[in-house]
Amino acid sequence: MSLLLDIATTAAILYAVALGLLIVFGVMGIISFAHGAMMTIGGYAALLVTQEGWSPWASFPAAALAGLVGGAVMERIVLRPLYRRPLDAILATWGLGIVIGQVITLVFGRQVQFAQSPLSGAINVLGVTYSQYRLLLVALAILLAGVIAFILHGTRLGLVTRAVIANEGLSQSLGVNSARVRFASFSLGSALASLAGALVVPLSSVDPNMGVPWLVGAFMLVLLSGSSLVSMAGAAIVLGAAQVLVSTYLNAVLGGMTIAILAAIILRIRPTGFARA
Amino acid sequence: MRTLAFAAATLAALASPAFAQAPIRIGVPIGLSGANSVVAPSVVQAAELAVAEINAKGGVLGRPLALDVADDGSGATGAQRAFDSLVFQKKVDALISMETSAARNAGLPIVTRGKTPFIYTSYYEGHSCNRYMFVNAWVPEQQEGPVIDFFLKDKGAKTFFLIGSDYAFGRGMLAYAKQYIETHGGKVVGDEYQPMDAGDWTAIISKVRAANPDALILSTAGGVPNVTLTKQYRAAGITALVGNLGVDEGTAKTMGEDANGIYISGSYYTSVDTPANKSFLEAMRAKFGTALLTPNDLSVPQYEAVYLYKAAVEKAGGTAADGVIKALAEVSFEGPRGSVTMNKQRHAPLTMYLGQVQADGSVKILKTASNVDPGEQCPNLQ
Amino acid sequence: MLSGSNLAPSSHQLPPAALIGGVLVLAGVAAVLAAPLVLDIYSVNVLTRSLLLAVAAVTVDLLWGYTGILSFAQAAFLAIGAYALALVSTRLGFSPGTGLFALLLGMGVAALAALLVGWLAFSYGASLLYVSTITLVFPIVFVQLIFAGGNFTGSSSGLSGFDVPDLDTESWFRVAGLLLVAVAALAVTFVRSDFGRLLVAMRENDLRCQYLGIPTARLKVSLFVVCAMVCAAAGWIYAGATAVVAPELGNFVSGTELVIYTALGGRATLAGPIVGAVAIDAISNFLNGALPFLWALIVGLLFVVVIVALPGGLLSLLRLGRERRSRLVPDLVEAAVQTPMQDGLVLQVTTLGKRFGSLIVLKDVSFVARAGDLVSLIGPNGAGKTTLMRCIADGRERSAGTVEIGGHSIRHLPPHRCTALGVGRKFQTASVFESMTVAECLRVARTRIERPSLFRRTPTIALPAAALEVVRATGLGDRLGVETRHLSHGEKQSLELAMVLALEPTLLLLDEPTAGLTGAERARIGELLVDLARRYRLCIVLVEHDLDFVRRISSRIIVLHQGNIVLDGGVEEATQSETVRTIYAGAAHA
Repeated sequence: MSLLLDIATTAAILYAVALGLLIVFGVMGIISFAHGAMMTIGGYAALLVTQEGWSPWASFPAAALAGLVGGAVMERIVLRPLYRRPLDAILATWGLGIVIGQVITLVFGRQVQFAQSPLSGAINVLGVTYSQYRLLLVALAILLAGVIAFILHGTRLGLVTRAVIANEGLSQSLGVNSARVRFASFSLGSALASLAGALVVPLSSVDPNMGVPWLVGAFMLVLLSGSSLVSMAGAAIVLGAAQVLVSTYLNAVLGGMTIAILAAIILRIRPTGFARA
Repeated sequence: MRTLAFAAATLAALASPAFAQAPIRIGVPIGLSGANSVVAPSVVQAAELAVAEINAKGGVLGRPLALDVADDGSGATGAQRAFDSLVFQKKVDALISMETSAARNAGLPIVTRGKTPFIYTSYYEGHSCNRYMFVNAWVPEQQEGPVIDFFLKDKGAKTFFLIGSDYAFGRGMLAYAKQYIETHGGKVVGDEYQPMDAGDWTAIISKVRAANPDALILSTAGGVPNVTLTKQYRAAGITALVGNLGVDEGTAKTMGEDANGIYISGSYYTSVDTPANKSFLEAMRAKFGTALLTPNDLSVPQYEAVYLYKAAVEKAGGTAADGVIKALAEVSFEGPRGSVTMNKQRHAPLTMYLGQVQADGSVKILKTASNVDPGEQCPNLQ
Repeated sequence: MLSGSNLAPSSHQLPPAALIGGVLVLAGVAAVLAAPLVLDIYSVNVLTRSLLLAVAAVTVDLLWGYTGILSFAQAAFLAIGAYALALVSTRLGFSPGTGLFALLLGMGVAALAALLVGWLAFSYGASLLYVSTITLVFPIVFVQLIFAGGNFTGSSSGLSGFDVPDLDTESWFRVAGLLLVAVAALAVTFVRSDFGRLLVAMRENDLRCQYLGIPTARLKVSLFVVCAMVCAAAGWIYAGATAVVAPELGNFVSGTELVIYTALGGRATLAGPIVGAVAIDAISNFLNGALPFLWALIVGLLFVVVIVALPGGLLSLLRLGRERRSRLVPDLVEAAVQTPMQDGLVLQVTTLGKRFGSLIVLKDVSFVARAGDLVSLIGPNGAGKTTLMRCIADGRERSAGTVEIGGHSIRHLPPHRCTALGVGRKFQTASVFESMTVAECLRVARTRIERPSLFRRTPTIALPAAALEVVRATGLGDRLGVETRHLSHGEKQSLELAMVLALEPTLLLLDEPTAGLTGAERARIGELLVDLARRYRLCIVLVEHDLDFVRRISSRIIVLHQGNIVLDGGVEEATQSETVRTIYAGAAHA
């Protein structure tokens, strides 16, 4: 039973982390390697909240706000010229990530720090004593997915965004301001990335490079999902399960590379990944 | 921000009183980033206090001491650069520092090449030997017995689960623990490692849950893995006895209420009730005020090592390596940990304490043992 | 026999590049030998590492700048070489024997790993993004494997204090420097050779290369393997010089640092990555104490600026990156054609079908074509004409039926193998190599028949008579030294035709050859095609919309409508067919 909970919570965490990247990839077709840095920004937002003594719950909106602003600035200044050059976009966003990491180091120092968890302790669930916070993450991941799905399918912005995802050229000729859609998407994606950073921080620690290890896993997950929220949920569960099973029954270290290898193989066999053809 | 403070402190140390000669440079390669970054600042503070005190009294052989701090990233490649920079670029006279075993092992070849005296001030897994290195902190033979004996005899624990970081320290400590447990009537039901920088202990915690041991023995690297592991197993509701072989008081404070009830063993806690310790703590408070970081079992040996180096240089009449090396095996220093002499195969007999972390982060001392021998650490070095 | 001087003026010979190169190599060697005498020991130490990283950065440039493969894995290959020495030395001690064994082991493992990564990455149809993804996965796997090795590999701590060759610091510097000079010299020779042009061709238009019979995947894997082995050798020296190995040496972050050095220095220059690596790595080390964060911040910012605004890197500012490449214009000569002219059945298509899921695009298509035929495939848009072309040129495309070229079935062969059977496909939009000259494009087109040199630029290009005729007739003969991007649309079309003819195909597939051409150009192309069919006995199948053109030149017309052949007969028959008229008028649905 605790194994199932491990899988569910791991999948939820992966999903939350990759959600922002999915939106950016779906709309703009670029993988933003600054995603890790946005997570780090969120982590430090949570740290600030802890240091100022505010309620740890405030770290979530604080992180989202920080990410929103950061993403908006990045999109405006750096990403506009790189839409047609996806490989260069990866590199430029990686460079941005480095810059953000260094700025954070200059401001906060390079040592590892810790933020407070809004919810601590364990509760008894289905016969197993399990971390409350991890369970909360499952709920939050589902909530986030729901919110994004609502935005995409229930609002005008979402409709327009889906049009751009499907066929940007056509949307433009129909009068859609795709530049604004991209701007909104990247900002939203960055906000989600920062929120994810604040979400994972209570489980571990905050340092200027905390986002990097998450980057590749999120990247893989997004490649496997195309631009579908649902297929990403499926991918998250499959990959999360694989990682947990390998970690538990074989070796925690091998578990660390399961996601990367599995994703590479799946993409080789089926380049569209989990998305419906 | 901190770099400026260090620079200012060093300048201040140099500025007063007026010295005629060039300073004696002490290199401090230390983990300002990475796994040790939680505890490193406290170690630097201890070094700064020692240097300030010594310089205020006229320095060493009329020369002031100066600190050169370099970040070793808490790992091998970073240590290589830090040691390289200190030994060959800054050309320090001695290295005094606490580091992860990975960093230390990577730095030793450079120490040998540069013929630089090196006082290693960190507790570690033992049996690291180098012509130029002395150790004034504890090794497993001094530290592990008290904790494990306490669990076996006083708490009646029979089954043990061992968790560590996958590097020399983690493996070395737990190898000793396993052998000690099994020769004293206990049983090891699990033995798991993760890389030094790993932050996700979920799978191992699930295994602990399944094995349901009476006690956990932990030996992870530096500050970060300690905190993440403790946070996570607490959050998972694990209630076994916990003996953490690798956590110092400062890191325990960072863990907050998660650390409550953990058993630890070491050669220094702030609650040690001796006049030397009291005056040391007062001096620290006077110098750093509200910026003071809890002195701990990693930072106090650093303070004492600077004094030991001073004594050795004075005894040898100079900073030349050969003379200093010979003298370091003979000199003593009376400090917060009592009398420390590195005369047992480059290691030092120490007074060891068994303690339990309290809810407010302080350590309640349960047992004390004096003059505990480090055992056969470097039989091939004279 | 056409002599070269009729077609193109001989170029002025530049001072022998070999002489300049030789001087540079000697200067490099001298600098490497002398430097330790003037530099202090710390600098020598630091630079030794930087020079080895520069070797790895050169491989990054070869793969990325020249061939278009963005690889994050080169640091991991270097680490493999380093770990090989560390592990062997730890277990077996060091001796010349074990040292050599470690070197071979490191290079061997790196080669195998590169083979595996290459097999995964360079499969046909893999996007560039996927390729980079795989090269990203590899360092992650490598690091995790090191962790999994526990005590054996040193896990997180790494390995240190192992026995190394007994050289002093200065000697290690010289070894590293000499390796760099050697690798740089070989790399420069390689990219300036004819084969080097091939790399650029694959970067610019991989598909065109495949249809020129070039096994692009295999070439890329080979290059990748060679680069991996070079990195491993550098890694061996790295471990020897530093006596420390740790997983960080080969992780994803180190891999990206190599890319940063290359980008900042200047892509596709070879000098760029060297300058970038040495400058940035060395400076980082010197600033280790003083301003580490500020420096990293500056590098990061520069990197972003370069990627966004200055893709040529900082060297391009000095105009060194875009140095005047010796635009040696080769002479054209006639080649002895290897495939003799023939008669008989060239193309046989039997019950060919193609579906996308439930959408049927081609159904039950059967026809034959012989040497000397000029078959025009016509039909309204969406009839499946281009799809049919694709199914003939690429054995993997069709869903049903068989295609035989000169009696050989194309089974499920990829394009470059079909080309080897005699298919020459010309695309609808001129598919050539934009940054290369006309002559270079023709040279690349000859690759399948004449292996390009790995070391030099041969001064002549041998083309078969058919190709020569196209070149002369369309005026390309006077434009051999011009970059393709400066050609007019019509000239590009002619160039592509010449390139395809250089393959000595038996079957020529042309997709809308008159699209975008002027009336005069149309007439000329028409004459050419008729000539090719009649005189050179080529079998030509073309897709066209210009019905006048079709009527004028074809020997046969096939009408395709909604995936079926509606008519297969002579020009007269087709022109007078009621069915054809109604199809084109759009009124009838069959």
